[in-house]
Amino acid sequence: MAKGKVIQVIGTVVDVEFPANQLPALYNAIEINTDSGKIVLEVESHLPNNWIRCVSLSPTEGLQRGAEAIDTGAPVKVPVGKVTLGRLFNVLGDPLDDLGEVKAEDRWVIHRSPPPFEDQSKTTQTLETGLKALDLITPFTKGGKVGAYGGAGVGKTVIIQELIRNIASEHGGYSVFTGIGERSREGNDLWNEMKASGVLGKTVMVFGQMNEPPGVRLRVGLTGLTMAEYFRDTQHMDVLLFIDNIYRYTLAGMEVSALLGRMPSAVGYQPTLSTEVGDLEERITSTKSGSITSFQAVYVPADDYTDPGVATTFGHLDAVVALDRSIAAQGLYPAVDPLTSSSRILDPRVVGEEHYNVAIRVKQVLQRYKDLQDIISILGIEELSEEDRLTVARARRIQRFLSQPMFVSEVFTGRPGKYVPMKETVRGFKEILEGKHDTLPEQAFFMVGTIDEAVEAAKKLQQ
Amino acid sequence: MANTRAIRRRIKGVQNTAKITKAMEMIASSKMRKAQERGLAGRPYSEKIKQVIADVAALPQSESDLHPLLKRRPVKKIAVIHITPDRGLSGGLDSNLNRKAASFMLQQQVLVSMVLVGKRGIDYMRRFNREIRAEFSKLGDKPSLIDTLPIARIVMEDYSQGLVDMVYVVYPRFVNTMKQIPVVEQLLPIVPGESNKDHNTDYIFEPDAKAVLDVILPRFVESEIYHAILESIASEQSARMVAMRNATESANELLEALTLAYYKARQESITSELLDIVTGSSAIG
Repeated sequence: MAKGKVIQVIGTVVDVEFPANQLPALYNAIEINTDSGKIVLEVESHLPNNWIRCVSLSPTEGLQRGAEAIDTGAPVKVPVGKVTLGRLFNVLGDPLDDLGEVKAEDRWVIHRSPPPFEDQSKTTQTLETGLKALDLITPFTKGGKVGAYGGAGVGKTVIIQELIRNIASEHGGYSVFTGIGERSREGNDLWNEMKASGVLGKTVMVFGQMNEPPGVRLRVGLTGLTMAEYFRDTQHMDVLLFIDNIYRYTLAGMEVSALLGRMPSAVGYQPTLSTEVGDLEERITSTKSGSITSFQAVYVPADDYTDPGVATTFGHLDAVVALDRSIAAQGLYPAVDPLTSSSRILDPRVVGEEHYNVAIRVKQVLQRYKDLQDIISILGIEELSEEDRLTVARARRIQRFLSQPMFVSEVFTGRPGKYVPMKETVRGFKEILEGKHDTLPEQAFFMVGTIDEAVEAAKKLQQ
Repeated sequence: MANTRAIRRRIKGVQNTAKITKAMEMIASSKMRKAQERGLAGRPYSEKIKQVIADVAALPQSESDLHPLLKRRPVKKIAVIHITPDRGLSGGLDSNLNRKAASFMLQQQVLVSMVLVGKRGIDYMRRFNREIRAEFSKLGDKPSLIDTLPIARIVMEDYSQGLVDMVYVVYPRFVNTMKQIPVVEQLLPIVPGESNKDHNTDYIFEPDAKAVLDVILPRFVESEIYHAILESIASEQSARMVAMRNATESANELLEALTLAYYKARQESITSELLDIVTGSSAIG
């Protein structure tokens, strides 16, 4: 074991000097014992003078210049396998729940290569989510990657948690939840919720929340992913991977980038932005032997979708669920914007002719409504032709019908959650488009499940 | 930034719209004055002749020598003269009219044939697939009585020949610049006045009642229709002026909001560019 000593500490970035021929390899884990506990560093670059530059994976309080650093000879390794199920981990693979040591037979290095091209597979089977807006506009693929985009407070986490509830509970296999840089409270809520619903035994949870240093948030995604990869590659299973929030990974990279001596690029992002995002995203993929279906929340800073950090993740995804503030402001949850959301498999050959046509027509009607909005705000609705007025009326009904009460937000809204099968979703929107429900009041479509419930609600309203 | 360019384009669009609505408002307000004068000038005459005719119609007459336009028959079919403007952009005026006419038409238990005056009504009514007896459009802003005679002739002929048994007219009654109400009035058979016993007018016909009624009754129908059209024009111009004024106002409001959004986006992009340059240069330095 090579030993070195700390030369320089700049916040979370630490420089260590090693003997000339014993320099630790890139990504190796370096350990430093301090009075307040063990600090783990990860080698990021080699500098002249036998210095190495590291990012700390622990808080650096108590670290001193001159402290002794030990090269562990390998990158961070985390426990994998069945023993991880039902447990809660940090970035280093140490358990965070007071359930004792994890006796793993195997520990895997968190830095791995993505599966080679010939092993990758693309299935085109749809995955039902039970949420009308998602099933209609952005049908999910089994083994695909889905991103939920949205600014602050439009409901990304709620959507991810609803998906966990609807899919992970129904799904027989294992799931991995990775919390990156989000609220610690949410991690606690999720943990208790999973315990209550009984799916905890099939779930691995990894957290590096917003209270942790950037190095942790930069690597915790890999930790969770490595655990999921184990199930995919050695157990040949179909795994669900939930990541909330992938943007924090990018942000953590940005935080350490300048400290590592890299020149900032556009909007202050790290110059290695697309490489970093690619490193993580390319590994989240399905192979011939097993699959990882992933759901990622993506924070959109200042609601600006052209932000480089956001735009870079776009290309990696099969389906994009864009959440919109103006929709959330109307109280329509989930605040999915049907016009900017998309899915690779919204294709008549995959979802069927009927679903495809209904989805496209819903988009057309909403687009027309959007185009007319300026006219309405200037000239008033009176100036619209009869057809346009009908379009507006239907668009407003469709907008409301896209909302749906969710199970995870039951405590906030007081409305019991609804699961809507995909078939029902398509039928409901088809009937609205056909004008079967033009006579029902708009309010009846708000926060209901199937179209039959809207009809029921209308009856109640009329009484 | 793409965002600022998109906002600027919308600002241009809204500005152009505001220019047009402003121009239309001014045109409408100058036309409105004349149209209102014309509409109101005809009103005393129209009301007087209505009263006289009603009195005459109320005179006891034998069934056989009753003038054809006064004859009442069991109603099997009615005609509706539907008077609308040719052009839109007059707020709710034409859609209120159309709705009024359509609901009146759909309520009827008997056959209805429509006589349509004005493009807005024509376009609307064509969709119902009901009988359309005639269509008139492009009467202009200042129609003369002669321009409107064919309308009167058609309904009078149909009525005298017994093709229709009742004729209604739907038009926007001009109340004031801010208010116009769509009304449905019975035109034929002429409604006899409540024979006011108190002023018991005694009419002396020269040479005889028939000769006088033959002339005066068609003239009455013609003038009623002409008058309805004048009211319609006055209403149209007033409604348009008000609608366009509101449109200009809301366009300006929208413009303000957009301009604010534009400034914000512009400032934001400048700030982020500055940041890029400053951090970049300090990283090199």
